[in-house]
Amino acid sequence: MQTQLIIILSVTVALTFVVALVSIGLVIHKAVNAQEIRRRQRLYTHYSEKFAEVLLVDLPPLPSSARTSAIFKQYENLLAPVKKELESLPPVEALLHRKMLRGVLVDFARDLSGDAIDRLIYCFYSLDFVSEQIELLKHKHWWVRAQAARDLGLLRTRRALAALTAALEDPHQDVRDQARQAIASLAGVESLRTILRLTRRMSMWTALELSISVQQYGEETVPYLVEGLDLPDQSVVLFCIEMLAVIGFVSAVDPLRRLAKTYPSITVRAKAIEAMGRLGDQRSEELLVSFLRDPNPALRLKALEALGRIGAPAALPALIPRLEHGTLQEQIAAARAIAATGPTGTDELHRIAATGSKRQRAVCLHVLEERG
Amino acid sequence: MFEWIINSYLLFVVLYFVGVNVSYTVMMILSLREILKYMHHNSFSDYRLTVQSELAVGVSVLAPAYNEEATVVESVRSLLKLNYGHFEVIVINDGSKDRTLRRLIDEFGLIQSNQIYAPEIPSKRVRGIYRSRVASYKNLVIVDKENGGKADALNVGINVAQYELVCVIDADSILEEDALQKVVKPFLEDHRVVAAGGIVRIANGCEVKNGRVVRVGLSTHFLPLFQVVEYFRAFLSGRMAWLNMNALLIISGAFGLFRRQAVIDVGGYRTDTVGEDMEIVVRMHRTFRERRRPYRVIFVPDPVCWTEAPESIRILQRQRNRWHRGLMDVMRFHGKMLFNPRYGAIGMSSMPYYLFIELLGPVFEFIGYIATIMLFVRGTANLDMAILFFIVSLLYGVMFSVGGVLLEEISFRRYPNPKHLVLLLFIGVLENFGYRQLTAWWRIRAFFDYARGQRGWGKMQRKGFRVGT
Repeated sequence: MQTQLIIILSVTVALTFVVALVSIGLVIHKAVNAQEIRRRQRLYTHYSEKFAEVLLVDLPPLPSSARTSAIFKQYENLLAPVKKELESLPPVEALLHRKMLRGVLVDFARDLSGDAIDRLIYCFYSLDFVSEQIELLKHKHWWVRAQAARDLGLLRTRRALAALTAALEDPHQDVRDQARQAIASLAGVESLRTILRLTRRMSMWTALELSISVQQYGEETVPYLVEGLDLPDQSVVLFCIEMLAVIGFVSAVDPLRRLAKTYPSITVRAKAIEAMGRLGDQRSEELLVSFLRDPNPALRLKALEALGRIGAPAALPALIPRLEHGTLQEQIAAARAIAATGPTGTDELHRIAATGSKRQRAVCLHVLEERG
Repeated sequence: MFEWIINSYLLFVVLYFVGVNVSYTVMMILSLREILKYMHHNSFSDYRLTVQSELAVGVSVLAPAYNEEATVVESVRSLLKLNYGHFEVIVINDGSKDRTLRRLIDEFGLIQSNQIYAPEIPSKRVRGIYRSRVASYKNLVIVDKENGGKADALNVGINVAQYELVCVIDADSILEEDALQKVVKPFLEDHRVVAAGGIVRIANGCEVKNGRVVRVGLSTHFLPLFQVVEYFRAFLSGRMAWLNMNALLIISGAFGLFRRQAVIDVGGYRTDTVGEDMEIVVRMHRTFRERRRPYRVIFVPDPVCWTEAPESIRILQRQRNRWHRGLMDVMRFHGKMLFNPRYGAIGMSSMPYYLFIELLGPVFEFIGYIATIMLFVRGTANLDMAILFFIVSLLYGVMFSVGGVLLEEISFRRYPNPKHLVLLLFIGVLENFGYRQLTAWWRIRAFFDYARGQRGWGKMQRKGFRVGT
């Protein structure tokens, strides 16, 4: 027993000694790190100022017939002092400077467009960051690969397209996500077809990220999104429906009607009905009214909400009976849809509020208050 | 025979001690792994997407308030400033006896609304729902109801909520501006996530301005400092480790996000327990496992909720007593899950851990002290052994306290000043000499209170945050 305790004590003392050492190490590290952070901040500011100059300085105009190499030569001249500075540094110091420089370029790339981003991309190539980042796409740590994919996308380096497409099949989700984003931003709207085809089980977060690129390209994406409605992965289909609704292109109504009527999954059908409402096209009215009698409450509710968005006076006779049936949610949605038809609908709600059942009265008052 | 019983017990204590410390060590290693994974994973996240995108899900923030007239307006203003796309703030006035409701009505220009209250979870009577006439407060809803306790107030909030996610907070907690963005992300990444907890940090000593923590600092009093270290251990070491096994049993009542439908599916918060925050999470595990429904309960170590820690022994004692009674309730209600392989890691790991280490740990420790004293009285104790064991247990305590501080320092580094780190490391050592034993004693007393049928919360007094100028 005593021997056992002595063993435990020895182990404990040893562990505590290690913890104490680590603690002291951390305190020292924290103090040193504070200095290092200040140094990095100084470097970051230094290169931010330098690059602000590089990006903002007016270059002498070139004739329209000037070759690209002439433009690049101008850029190279702007970059020369930075390169000179980097060359003058000892290797370890140069490494840190390059890291900070890359950080500056990536941060600038987020907010730039036009000539400024062209200059920035040139600098990224000229400073040899592109091959460095492409190489990092093969790194053993997924987070390094993901960061490389993100940076290549932000700096729109088309040379990395092949490597990024390969990264769409990376074993780690985050790398695939970053590669998808990068491809969408640097290969243009055509890349959407490849992205949608190669995507499986798209999460809401991925959809959120991808939606930014899709919204940037706007109506140009519609043919690809419509094509995406026929892909086998349900999450991709849902994304395409959502995006068609966000972009608001009415030619999408026909494929959405088809999905709403025939798709095997209720989730997709409900989403298609919702999208029809958001598109606000009156061609959908008849179909939406037919859904008011669907046995599935989710589809009925979505149809009511969609009619509420469209504001369909012709649907009024079908909507009024819905105030008596279904769940409370359905009744409220029906009242909203009635109100959305215009003054006739509002009058109808006032009438039902005065003469209807207690529940109908409550629903009507609730919706009338909402509409002010 | 007596000697044999005592010695057998002491042997059990030694084995128990080894088991506990092995568990803690494993948990610390798992936590470190999870924290690093989390940090890498989120280093690419642009949380602004949840603010800008129409695709992001909406959140209803629920803040129950009972006799909070002094702080309620400031708290609501702070909540309305959260940086998130679609959200509403629902304050549930739980039958306050002071001017809580009046102050809200006057400050936010509220009028009684015709909004229908259709409870999906049973609750006490709702007296009225109020909305503001002011356009900038259109996402503010105040519900006035009969007093029924925090759990009942939350159930009402869930009934009223219009969004898919509900965020449960204490009315006097301070959420960081981007806290919602960060805690929502796992729900967007994985549709199976039904509940997520954020980290709760101690605000005593921090500077608060316009309902925001503007400068992170440490209290000058010992009690809040001890709690800072305790919270590091509990959140960074404990919860991160359970996350690894999808066996997390607690989401703090001060800050948690739930899928509204999942809460309704399990019947909402139980109103007959003081540990309602833990109970609902355990019930979610139980229900969804029984229904074979895929789900995940997770902990997100980054989104911060600042809370005021008790600075007086009396209040802290009540808090710990209540937490322990809550744990007893959970074990009583869900004892069926213990060592039941049907509930996977919950039944086989986390429930036994909470029973034997968290709930009964203080009892074993206390009986151990008594047994040692008895042996001394009878003159049969081995003095060397007893001292050795005591030192060993203290050293392990120190190691895990310091380990909690180290996890914080390796990961989120919220305390910028190196002096803070030194102080926290020192506190990590000091808390093992008196404070830990004191909290263990309070937890033992909770057994007696529980046996006597005490079920209330006990009065909690708040001192208020240090306000910056």
